[in-house]
Amino acid sequence: MRECRLRPISTPPLALPIFVLWRYPRTIAKHQLRERVLSPRSPSPVFVLEGGRSGGGESSSGSMSTVSKGPAVAVEAEEAEEDAVEKDYVGLSEESCSCYPDGKGDDGGAEDEDEEELELGLSLGAKKVTGGGGKQGGAPWREYCRILTAEDFPSMVSRAPPLSSSSSVSSSATLVRGGTTGGAASRRVAVSGSPDAGGSTNPPPSTQMVVGWPPIRAYRMNNIINQSKDNTSSNAIVTMTPKETNESSKNITKEVIAKELEKKGGLAGNSLFVKVNMDGDPIGRKVDLNAHWSYETLAAALEAMFDKPTSALGASICGSRTSKLDDGSPEFSLTYEDKDGDWMLVGDVPWGMFLSTVKRLRIMRTSDTNGGLAPRLHSSKSSGGLRNVP
Amino acid sequence: MPAGGGWAAMFPDEVWEHVFSFLAADGDRNAVSLVCRGWYHIERRSRRRIFVGNCYAIAPTVAVRRFPNVRVVSIKGKPHFADFNLVPSDWGGHADAWVAAMAEGWPLLEELHLKRMVVTDECLELLARSFKNFRVLALSFCEGVSTAGLAAIAANCRNLRELDLQETVVEENCVHWLSHFPESSTSLVNLSIASLEEDVNIAVLEHLVSRCTNLKTLKLNYAVPLDRLVNLLCRAPQLANLGTGRFTAEYRPELFSKLESAFASCKSMKSLSGICEAVPEYLPAIYPICDGLTSLNLCDAPVNGASLTKLVSRCKNLQRLWVMDVIEDDGLAAVASSCKLLQELRVFPCDPYGADPVSLTEHGLVTVSTGCPMLQSVLYFCRQMTNDALFAVARSSPNLTCFRLCIIDPHTPDYVTLEPLDAGFSAIVESCKDLRRLSVSGLLTNNVFRSIGASADCLEMLSIAFAGDSDAGLHYILSGCKSLRKLEIRDCPFGDKALLANAAKLETMRSLWMSSCFVSLGACRLLAQKMPLLNVEVMDEKKRGGSWDSQPDDCLVEKLYVYRTVAGQRSDTPPCVWTV
Repeated sequence: MRECRLRPISTPPLALPIFVLWRYPRTIAKHQLRERVLSPRSPSPVFVLEGGRSGGGESSSGSMSTVSKGPAVAVEAEEAEEDAVEKDYVGLSEESCSCYPDGKGDDGGAEDEDEEELELGLSLGAKKVTGGGGKQGGAPWREYCRILTAEDFPSMVSRAPPLSSSSSVSSSATLVRGGTTGGAASRRVAVSGSPDAGGSTNPPPSTQMVVGWPPIRAYRMNNIINQSKDNTSSNAIVTMTPKETNESSKNITKEVIAKELEKKGGLAGNSLFVKVNMDGDPIGRKVDLNAHWSYETLAAALEAMFDKPTSALGASICGSRTSKLDDGSPEFSLTYEDKDGDWMLVGDVPWGMFLSTVKRLRIMRTSDTNGGLAPRLHSSKSSGGLRNVP
Repeated sequence: MPAGGGWAAMFPDEVWEHVFSFLAADGDRNAVSLVCRGWYHIERRSRRRIFVGNCYAIAPTVAVRRFPNVRVVSIKGKPHFADFNLVPSDWGGHADAWVAAMAEGWPLLEELHLKRMVVTDECLELLARSFKNFRVLALSFCEGVSTAGLAAIAANCRNLRELDLQETVVEENCVHWLSHFPESSTSLVNLSIASLEEDVNIAVLEHLVSRCTNLKTLKLNYAVPLDRLVNLLCRAPQLANLGTGRFTAEYRPELFSKLESAFASCKSMKSLSGICEAVPEYLPAIYPICDGLTSLNLCDAPVNGASLTKLVSRCKNLQRLWVMDVIEDDGLAAVASSCKLLQELRVFPCDPYGADPVSLTEHGLVTVSTGCPMLQSVLYFCRQMTNDALFAVARSSPNLTCFRLCIIDPHTPDYVTLEPLDAGFSAIVESCKDLRRLSVSGLLTNNVFRSIGASADCLEMLSIAFAGDSDAGLHYILSGCKSLRKLEIRDCPFGDKALLANAAKLETMRSLWMSSCFVSLGACRLLAQKMPLLNVEVMDEKKRGGSWDSQPDDCLVEKLYVYRTVAGQRSDTPPCVWTV
């Protein structure tokens, strides 16, 4: 089991009964509870498992009781529950970061599959870390944790509009302004408004999204998200502050900057679903690229998704750094189709640039790629975004 | 009547077949087949259409053997919640076994309708080769096909009338699949490729449209730009159902006027959809056909409310309207006053997680319900609701057959009184006696389920999410709801007791889906043991290769799918699914 220690957060001065209201009742399969969940009263964060749900106890009876007193808790807005919920929020993104094998690569398998559950863009503030190629080791994830601790909350709240930073705080800030418990509920402020909503659209701070809720067809959800993405990336450039990026002096394309911004917690929450097909498997899958911040995590996630023990994609991408599997030569290679329709090997361009040019992924048998794909650096231009990245 | 069942022999079989041919409904034909052995055989030989609601409920070979002369078959695969990514992607629903059995046993098959199934190119190729009279292929919400499969269909099905790919995910594999329609092919009546993501060769499409003079339905994909739409419309003014491609372009007066006159020449247009990413400047080009429209789908057009309102107000004969919530309450008020024949309304959220909520509230729904006396079907996404609004809907629209309300934030109470929405939904089920489909949302306690169980006698499909307080809720549903066929539940505190107490009910239903509830593995084992005619499938996506047998009884089941079947356990379960 992976351990992820956080600095305990003090409860921020925000009313959060709404979150509790929203988060109840969540259930987890008991075996998952055993692995992950800590009691809500403990100082450690509660990890969220599938689809943004969290449980409150360590046993099924414990969770039952949590469930049954849920509304009461909501009304009372117990401090401890707030704490737990606040940590739920924190835990939520912790989940994103804790999944990733930070170079140690032990049992990433099971946890990475959580990532797959969090399809609807459970890509929260956890984007700040990598500036460049995204091939970094363990240290980065600590910064993720730090982003969401109490020290950061006030600063985040203060610059909430228009460039709200990650998730919980801005939405909770909105909630505080919003007022009532039941009605406003937990505004999940993620995707900003429709394209015709004008230039004042807020770049979406991320949010907790429950898998499959609201019940809209997945492809329509992607359309919505991607349509507004076109607007937000152009808005983001305007509101970027120098301290947000380490490379403000560089001459980077707008698209890349927008992506960097996302990684630093600005626009986290967009989903960038791309199709993934594996040779020999008739069923294509989809993966949310914005839920990852490096090639390793993506490779690990894909391995878990396709569950082919001989794939060892991680090894093929990251060269000498091995993934959890011990295979020597990889049987499959990960390739992607870029905006020009060319198929390239994944791993050669910086992560941000990759995100801005990738259209879809394909896991090819290595024999097919021999000599076929010359990886080339492609200077990407923002082409107005992808209308429909499925 | 002669005794001993010999009366079936009073008339030759052909006479009975002729009599039975007037029975369209499957239920009636099923009843007929139970009367006596003679009728059973006559009926089964004369059955021309079958509907299989769950592809695993019966083995394909058995179905093919029982009904040897079927011409039209319709099969559904995955559970409904697969649309929202709740079902593991490799769960199943493969069409291969069915197509193989049909190729063997039904050489004269004419129509195939598949919904939520995994279809492969090999299936399509087999289809194209095996059925000489194949006319209609309708794949809705399917996946696994690529354009190579479509090419095979286009090339080999000589008399293809309909190719309908509604919402089916199609991979790119053969860029020129449209060219595979032979020059001599002029039989197309319906070509619906709206879900295709890749470009099509528009010149080839234009040529196809020109030579298929019977084309009534044409649904284009996003790749077809506005100016090419004009050409297509000019070639097919007889169209009745049109789905445009993208409806956005820089405003050019000459394009606008061409578009307008192209629409004006389509005198038979009844249904319009697509209109992807419409820009307000081009919407008025649609005005010429508004009067005749009975169905308008603006789900992909997040234009401002004012433009939408202007458009919809002109559609006096509209019966079905699908629109985004940017239409707002004002727009819906215009709908209520202009579209008096409205039967179906669906309002989708443009921006479900948005920081700027649109001004669409419960008032919009009430206005439409009050203003449109023929309203039968409602799907409404909104952020707030009151019990009073639901009372009003219940009063004004007692003929509702389908009511699906989705309040975007779970557990949202009545925002005025802060009470649960039990009273409102109870009023709906008590007033709408013909209600067949219901989806509930918002803050709900067990009381609403008591009402639903007691009053919803015609209810066939019920969807519940984030509702209820305890097992009693599920018990009310399963012990009431006489006609219930499909029940899908997510994130509710329902557990073992209600499930086991009502095990017999599950055999009268098509299927039950429960995810993120409190059902334990032990209960599933017990259920499977008690009810051999049910398949109890538990799913956990983390379980790849682990052993289910060793799991203790008290471990909670993440996803549960129970369905009745005469085919026994299925053989194609992926590792994350276990048939208990």
